[in-house]
Order: sequence, then structure tokens, then C-alpha cells
Amino acid sequence: MIDIMCEVLTPENLTDALQLLAKADSTTKILAGGTDVVVGKTQGSKRFADTVTLIDINRIEELKGIFEKDGMISIGAATTFSEICKSKLVEEKLPLLKKASSTIGSLQIRNRATIAGNFVNNAPCADTVPALLVYDASIEIKSQAATRNISLQEFLQGPYKTQLQQGELVTRILVPTPKQNYAGDFYKLGRRRAVAISRLTLAVLILLNGKEIADIKIASGAVTPIGKRFPKLEEFAKGKVMTDNLLRDLSKKMGEEVLAVTGLRWSSDYKLPVVQQMFYQLLKGIER
Amino acid sequence: MEIKFILNGKEVSTITEPSLRLLDLLREKFDLTGTKEGCGVGECGACTVLMNGKAVNSCLVLAAQVNDSEILTIEGIAKGDELHPLQKNFLLNGAVQCGFCSPGMVLSSYALLEENPNPTEEEIKDAIAGNLCRCTGYKQIIDAVKQTAKELKMEVKA
Ligand SMILES: Cc1cc2nc3c(=O)[nH]c(=O)nc-3n(C[C@H](O)[C@H](O)[C@H](O)COP(=O)(O)OP(=O)(O)OC[C@H]3O[C@@H](n4cnc5c(N)ncnc54)[C@H](O)[C@@H]3O)c2cc1C
Ligand code: FES
Ligand code: FES
Repeated sequence: MIDIMCEVLTPENLTDALQLLAKADSTTKILAGGTDVVVGKTQGSKRFADTVTLIDINRIEELKGIFEKDGMISIGAATTFSEICKSKLVEEKLPLLKKASSTIGSLQIRNRATIAGNFVNNAPCADTVPALLVYDASIEIKSQAATRNISLQEFLQGPYKTQLQQGELVTRILVPTPKQNYAGDFYKLGRRRAVAISRLTLAVLILLNGKEIADIKIASGAVTPIGKRFPKLEEFAKGKVMTDNLLRDLSKKMGEEVLAVTGLRWSSDYKLPVVQQMFYQLLKGIER
Repeated sequence: MEIKFILNGKEVSTITEPSLRLLDLLREKFDLTGTKEGCGVGECGACTVLMNGKAVNSCLVLAAQVNDSEILTIEGIAKGDELHPLQKNFLLNGAVQCGFCSPGMVLSSYALLEENPNPTEEEIKDAIAGNLCRCTGYKQIIDAVKQTAKELKMEVKA
């Protein structure tokens, strides 16, 4: 019999949750889907060693739901991946987020795991991060005293480090509704198809003007220490005609950039050609 | 703490530690040992139960979170002595070998058919991707789900 030996508080609304958080210290953690917290506690992970109190946010309506308002798509922090996969709005406007969400764990995991829970710990293998990054997502963070908005890229400081302060709760994920018709794709490489930790994730959005690349957004996860965009590469590609030679060139440069941020590691010999080949195929797929 | 919930169609209440796993609550407090523990960390699906109609790993849900919810376990799907069509077809297709994965497999399949009475093979595979079976090789399980879908459809027509 396993009891993870925590007090569990269950606020019914956001005001109560923020009040509880304001009084709490670092021994209190938020509990959403629990697919990270409960596993961590069960396994005796160091990350949750001091945790003795959990604030369960699953009953808080303000943290749920997906809607569009003032040109922004707003996704509640405690929305599960199953809910995201079923959303017509996400399917239509943010197809890469749908694709990334549908690859997470298993149905049982997706029925519990939440979108904010995915990036709050900033694990490199968080699958929705590259998709959220190419859509220029930002997040709304609340404490009892204040509300702030910050871009996701800024929020993710370093491996397992974010800008979340004591007493703060991620409340919503905000994505500007894409205005034009970007083509794009998300790619995930794991050891097997289901319930596998990602080794490499890539997300690309391209806006074509005839054959010319009017705009391009590129992000990676898992293979880089944190999910990141590639601004230099994006600038290089913009305004160029989408030929096979350009795609080959881009893929080569992508590999070099990934190598530069990861440094040379034992896995580089294997990973570099994989990154280049996968990126090339992703671009080819979008071109078609 | 005291929690109240609906367990296999009946309202129940119990005093429990708030951070006990639902898996242990079912097995130890309610003697429902059909729900199995494999990995204990969300990877094998042996502990699958339905929570408000959705398949979840009961090793990752805490007792406090079960308050006011509806839980269905493998003990709750037969009608008295009459097996649920999924249970019957699992047996007929040789989809139960050692049987350790079967409660979880049946419940994942049950949730699928409730939501999607006419699943494709891909949809069946996706629904049971979080349930590991070390004996059957899955084919028999997929056949059993297909056959059940067909039978349930005929029942609706009849
Ligand atoms: C078997 C298995 C397979 C998995 N497969 C994948 C996979 O394929 N891809 C992938 O990316 N991940 C995977 N994961 C990891 C995990 O499921 C995801 O990262 C998930 O999104 C975590 O969300 P959660 O709601 O369950 O988080 P929880 O465990 O509830 O919380 C995680 C962390 O975030 C904090 N937190 C949660 N919500 C908030 C909030 N609103 N504000 C502030 N802090 C918050 C918590 O305090 C905790 O530190 C897997 C996990 C398991 C067990
Ligand atoms: S015991 Fe819960 S998923 Fe393995
Ligand atoms: S029948 Fe033995 S694990 Fe599936």
C-alpha cells in the first residue's frame, strides 16, 4: 500500500487557491494531473522530497476550457491533453498543438495530464513546448497580489528551471490566433510509439507566398537542453525560394545549430544526422 | 478525511488518508482486487479504472481526488452472473492468458466502445496503447474488441 504522505487541499475556485498559495512555503506544490508529481513522490524523486502539501487545482473552473477572445486563443492551465485533442478550435487553428498533444503518453495519461503541468518543470522532453513556441504562446500567471503575462520562451529559463515564483499559479496559456494560412508539422522521435520519452521533437510553421518563404517558425525539444526557437535560421530562410537545395541547406544549418547549443556529446554522432534527416523530411512533407 | 463517491453504481463513503492511491483504496478498503498493480508509475495500465467515464491509471490518482466522482472497476461491468460482452469475447478469443492485464484491457476497451461504438483497428490500438500485455501479442485482444463492437451494433439494431 502506498500513501505518498501529503496533505491534499482542494480549493473550489481561483480566489481560494491563490489565498492558499499566498500562505504556503516551498513545501507546498500544486497538483494537476499528478502524472509527474505522484510518480515523483512514489519513486522518491529529489524534486518532490520536501513536498508535504498538495493543492489540487482540478476543481477550479477558471483554469479549464478553451475559447477564443480578442484575437487570442485561451487555454486553461488545467486543461487535459484529451480535452485539447477533442477541441475543434485547436484542431482548426493550432493543428501542431493537437498533433503534439495526441502523442503524449497513453490515453490514460492524456485523460489526466495537463498542459501547464507539461512545461512548469521545464523538462527538455515536454512534447507540447516546441508546438507552443512556434505559435508564439505566452502564459498568464497569477498570485494573490498580481497578474502577469510572459512569453513561454522567456518563462523557460533553463533545464528544469522556470520563472515561476513562490505563491504563483499558471492560470492560462494564450496563443495569438494565426491570421494567415501557415502550413506546418510536428515530429516526435521516441524509442517506441506509445509511452516513450521523446528523444527529439521538431515543430515548423511556414507561410508561403507562391514558392517564396514569407515567414517561417522553427522550434525543437528534447534534443536541445530546453525547448527553443531558431531565430538565426528563421531569418536566413525568410524571403528565399523553397527549392530542394534550400531545404538541404536549412537542414544542414539546423544540425549545426543544435550541435552548438547541446555541445558535443557521446550521442552526437548518432543524433546529428538524425536531426538533419528528420528536419529535411519534415520540410519536404510541408512542401507537398 | 471522509470521501464520498459512486463505486460501481453504488454510493459509498469511507474514511481514508487523503494521499492514498486510488489503486490501494480499491484493493485494501473495498477488497476490489480485480484492479492490478504492475509498474506503479503510469506505464503499464494494469491499474486502469474508469473515472467519470474516462480510463485513468488508478496508481496516479489520490483518494482525495476521488471525492464526488464516479468510479467503475472490472467488478462493476458484468450484469450479476452474466459477463459483459467484452469479458465473454476476451475469453472466446484467447485474449486472457495469464490475465494480469485483462481487467485494465477490458476497461480501456469499455471506455472506447462507450465513446466510439464503431472503432477502426487504429482507434482500438490507440485506446489500449497504455495497457501492456506480456502474453498475447495483442492480436487476440484487438479481435475481441472488434467482435464485441459488431455484436453490440447488432443488439442496437435488433
Ligand atoms: C507513463 C507516462 C508517460 C508520459 N509521457 C509523456 C510524453 O509522451 N510526453 C510528455 O511531454 N510528457 C509525458 N509524461 C510526463 C507528464 O505526463 C507530462 O509532463 C504532463 O503534462 C504533466 O502534467 P500533470 O498535470 O500531470 O502535472 P502534475 O504532476 O500535476 O504537475 C507537474 C508539475 O507542475 C506543477 N504545476 C502543475 N500545474 C501547474 C499550474 N497551473 N501552475 C503552476 N504549477 C503547476 C506541479 O506543481 C508540478 O511541479 C509522461 C508521464 C508518464 C507517467
Ligand atoms: S500500475 Fe498503474 S500504470 Fe502500472
Ligand atoms: S494476458 Fe498476461 S499480460 Fe496480458
